[in-house]
Amino acid sequence: MFPAVTHRPRRLRHHSSRFTPNVVGAHNYAVTPMAMQTSPEQPAQVRTIARAIGQWIDRLGVVWVEGQVTQVSRRQGMATVFLSLRDKLADVSVQVTAPRTLVDAMSTPLVEGASVVIQAKPTYYENRGQLSLAAREIRMVGLGELLARLEQRRQLLAAEGLFAETHKRPLPFLPRKVGLITADNSAAERDVVEVGRRRWPGVQFEIRHAAMQGVNATREVIEALQRLEANAEVDVIIIARGGGSVEDLLPFSDEALIRAVHATSTPVISAIGHESDTPLLDLVADVRAATPTDAAKRAIPDVVEESARIQQARERIMRALQVRLSGEQQYLHQLQARPVLRDPASGLSERSEQIEALRQRVTRAVSSMVERSANDIAHRRARVQALSPLATMARGYSVVQRPDGALVTAIDDVEIAAQLLIRVADGQITTEVTGKESR
Amino acid sequence: MSDKKLSYEQARDELAEIVRQLEVGGAPLAESLALWERGEKLAQIAQAHLDGARQRLDAALKKASD
Repeated sequence: MFPAVTHRPRRLRHHSSRFTPNVVGAHNYAVTPMAMQTSPEQPAQVRTIARAIGQWIDRLGVVWVEGQVTQVSRRQGMATVFLSLRDKLADVSVQVTAPRTLVDAMSTPLVEGASVVIQAKPTYYENRGQLSLAAREIRMVGLGELLARLEQRRQLLAAEGLFAETHKRPLPFLPRKVGLITADNSAAERDVVEVGRRRWPGVQFEIRHAAMQGVNATREVIEALQRLEANAEVDVIIIARGGGSVEDLLPFSDEALIRAVHATSTPVISAIGHESDTPLLDLVADVRAATPTDAAKRAIPDVVEESARIQQARERIMRALQVRLSGEQQYLHQLQARPVLRDPASGLSERSEQIEALRQRVTRAVSSMVERSANDIAHRRARVQALSPLATMARGYSVVQRPDGALVTAIDDVEIAAQLLIRVADGQITTEVTGKESR
Repeated sequence: MSDKKLSYEQARDELAEIVRQLEVGGAPLAESLALWERGEKLAQIAQAHLDGARQRLDAALKKASD
């Protein structure tokens, strides 16, 4: 008998009654006449014992084993992955060998700490004297399976396009009403309402309470969502919950809820505070907020800040206009102050000065001309006077003229009885020819 | 375009052009006088625009401060 082998089924039965049929089956083999006849004189060889152990273990057949993966060794180029599988309660471990293809095909990566159920055949490796469970199938259980299922759903819905960026609707700047879906009297509700009121005292909430965890959560959240969607005044919907475990948040990954949110025309903000394991709601929502407070900040503008911004803009516009206006005014004043406009008479007086100057030049020219003529006349008159016979006449000479004015210079110039004019210094005498004689 | 429909910029630019012409000189007297009269009119139009703008600005400021 091999004590280790006979004890093992008992321990297995004790810790994991699920596998009782196999263990019992194995136990049956234990009572079959396998015992070898050995003695100090006739010892069995190692190979014989190893083969016997191997054959015995082989008879255990295929079993399902549940445990926690404590170690994963994946060596480059090796077709086998070695796992350490530990009992969930007792400090008992067993080695598992799994084909690399099996491990790689898992939808969730097999990591240390994962709870798994393995379908395996206990196998004894004779050359190293090592027992190992040769895995044929590995399934995640508990959290691992949940996450794997979520991941699978995420991939399907993503492929369907439910999470596409093109579906994301912008949030309204100033919502008429803010729809809020949250648990009655929850911290999330208080956070959203308080932060919202602080930012905009006039904000109006339309609050629908729903179970935010448990079996009714999905249905109640969908109902609340549909009622808020039906309310035309609700411009944005916040789904808020203050975090929780992956299991708590499962309703927010429910396919029915994801599709309901996708079908909603009102923008939806997801505020299911959880960092690591994103509920699918976060992906389908139009905006993902880290916390309910964050959701309130995104949905509701800070009115004080906004009005300050508007005021600032108005002041800048006014200043710009005033600067422009005074600049233009200055320019216009400059134009008006130019001499041509300010004193239009200056052009006229300039012109009249020109005219005056011309007039003076004309006057000067004319008067000098007149003066020159006068001088000329006086000169000529003097010369005429110098040539006058009057002085001679004053000495007693006189000039005799016929009535026609011709001077009498010879006796033949006159006839007897003809009238004659005798000019003397102070006048003239009229006489008649009474006789003539030649010298 | 009638003068009343002149924008501030149109009035201002035409005024500046008239000032330039008058300053260069050389235009016949009758034409210079006509230019000057036109300039006066344009200055009035531009000023009226500015006054209107100032009034609107002041009214807005007053309303804002109320």
